[in-house]
Amino acid sequence: MKKMTVMISILLLFIACGKQAPTPGVTDTEILIGNIQDLSGPMKELGAVLPAGSNLYFQYINEQGGVHGRQIKMIVEDHQYNPQKAVVAAKKLIEKDQVFCLYHVIGTSTCEAIRPILAETKTPLIAPATQSGTMSDLSRTAGDLIFHTDTGYDKQTNILIDYILNNDSNAKIGLIYQDDDYGENVLKGAGEAESRHSISVQKEAFQRGATDFTGQVGNLIKGSATHVIIAGVVKEPIIVMKTASAMGFSPQFFGTSPTMDHRVALAAGPAGEGFIAANFADLWNSDASEAVHYRELCDKYEVPEAYMGMYHFYGYITAKVLVEGLERAGKNPTRNRLINGMETLKKWDSGAFPPITYNSNDHAGTESVILVQIKDGVQTVITDWID
Amino acid sequence: MTELITGLLQESISGIALGCIYALIALGFTLIYKATEVVNFAQGEIMMVGAYINFFFVTQFAGMTGGLNGWVFLAALFCSIIFAVLFGIILDYIINRPLKDEPVFSIIMATISLAIILRSLTAMIAGPISLIPVSPFGDSTIKMGGIVISILDLAIIISAIILMALFFFFFNKTRWGIAMKATSEDSEAAQLMGIPVKQVYRMVWVFAAIVGVISGVLLAPRMALLDTTMSYLGLKAFPAAILGGFGSIPGAVVGGIILGIIETVSMGTLSFHFEWIKEINDIIIWIVLIAVLMFRPDGLMGEAKVKRV
Repeated sequence: MKKMTVMISILLLFIACGKQAPTPGVTDTEILIGNIQDLSGPMKELGAVLPAGSNLYFQYINEQGGVHGRQIKMIVEDHQYNPQKAVVAAKKLIEKDQVFCLYHVIGTSTCEAIRPILAETKTPLIAPATQSGTMSDLSRTAGDLIFHTDTGYDKQTNILIDYILNNDSNAKIGLIYQDDDYGENVLKGAGEAESRHSISVQKEAFQRGATDFTGQVGNLIKGSATHVIIAGVVKEPIIVMKTASAMGFSPQFFGTSPTMDHRVALAAGPAGEGFIAANFADLWNSDASEAVHYRELCDKYEVPEAYMGMYHFYGYITAKVLVEGLERAGKNPTRNRLINGMETLKKWDSGAFPPITYNSNDHAGTESVILVQIKDGVQTVITDWID
Repeated sequence: MTELITGLLQESISGIALGCIYALIALGFTLIYKATEVVNFAQGEIMMVGAYINFFFVTQFAGMTGGLNGWVFLAALFCSIIFAVLFGIILDYIINRPLKDEPVFSIIMATISLAIILRSLTAMIAGPISLIPVSPFGDSTIKMGGIVISILDLAIIISAIILMALFFFFFNKTRWGIAMKATSEDSEAAQLMGIPVKQVYRMVWVFAAIVGVISGVLLAPRMALLDTTMSYLGLKAFPAAILGGFGSIPGAVVGGIILGIIETVSMGTLSFHFEWIKEINDIIIWIVLIAVLMFRPDGLMGEAKVKRV
């Protein structure tokens, strides 16, 4: 009997030693991913559409047999665009649900707020859904764990100002920006461009949720701006261009990537004609290879038409980046292997983003944009990738 | 110099239109407050529901008649107002009546809950995708001197003035209006004097719903896109109502307009000439509010309440 007990103990010891501590969120059949969106706050419209786009790609991959035989499952939590709630949601996902990694968390301030938890638990965050340049700043907490896919607002502003001055060296540039983290990153880019070109950009602020831009447009008229960059979301470029048109002011309008929304053309009407927006990915309705594939899948899985569009496609294409990282993490993925896998992407072509490169010194992914102009009410790509 | 004056005038006109929207929301608060001493925190949400309902009727009627025209908008407005009447009656039944003799605090909490429920229900029914509202006035404008006024803004200003005048007249000159005032003063005494207090309350909620719905109809085209965040504008109408004097109808107008003008002028001419204004433009309204309350604690048009003990 004693012998038996000893043998069983030794056997148990072998089993215990032989099996490593399991990686959170990974079983033989499944990889669990955490996503935090705004499901009931000011950006809830995106909260519905973005994860639907990601799930479209996951559904496609899962039907192909998953990643190394594992099905991808995503849990979506709600932060209502509130940084404190983002922290609670991240804790829940990482500690209670035991997700493998976080993915596509939306918002600049919300992503900034969860940095300490990421660092503490060594949880990677792939493709945060914000174009703030701070996301790829490796010197910040958890910088080594975050992989940014989008070209930052600072970089976008730099590119837009370069583009304007290349076309018209006498341009007088105006900038309307949202007075928050987003605007701060835009101002950083504008400041860099100002010192590079020794010019001065006329800057006009607005509060998030503003519905009247008469003052800002009036100031740009006084400053006789010839080119105006609007760093808003969707409503702002519409109202600004309509106000300008009513006031007889017709500069060339530009916008950062959040303004690249087909509703700008729809709602601004003639006032929006000619509006040029920067975008960090190919258009969903373009001929880019992954855009074509996307539309095929939308057809196949009967995606409602109201969902199809740039945001849904954004969810879809970032999911492809995540899946590529998971593939490269190997058959027995750990969080470290995911990071190492992501860092092997070298000019990787996703079929919709500009070529993506990551390494241990660079988590920015892409640094270029395409410009999209509203021509006869239709968004038309007018440049190749520019940086 | 003329440039400065045209600039200021231009911004003030936009500010007045924006202010009239705040004023209409503030009027909604004021009506209910005047009669029941309850602050209805769901007024912004009632406005939002109004905008959605009107959008629904406009698209339905446009579909039936094969296009947008003046009649479509008028019919939609009429139906929206009918909806507002029903909505007001329902709100009176579910919020006001069961809580009538409870502490005011409970009723305020109920209105906050109502606000959250209305926002969520609207998002559930209308879907998460924002809508593109249409206006019967399109983007047409008129030019006066160097100043451009959009017809929509003009319509907002005129509607606000008419509604304010109607309510002012109603409260001061009609039997029902005076009955409402009496009810707010002392509902028990009013009831003893033969005033049908229940009907008075119902009427107040109906009026507030009508004002809310009309403000939603007017504001939606000015917002470019219609989504549930529209309701947050209700929060901006609070300082307007307090600035003018809570409970005063002319006060709601004055407060709203002052707030609207401050908002546009501070972002425009003021920040053009004084760079530092940009740094404080999000708190400027509150600075003005505190300054006014320091000298006139009851607001600009509020009546000082004296209670005999």
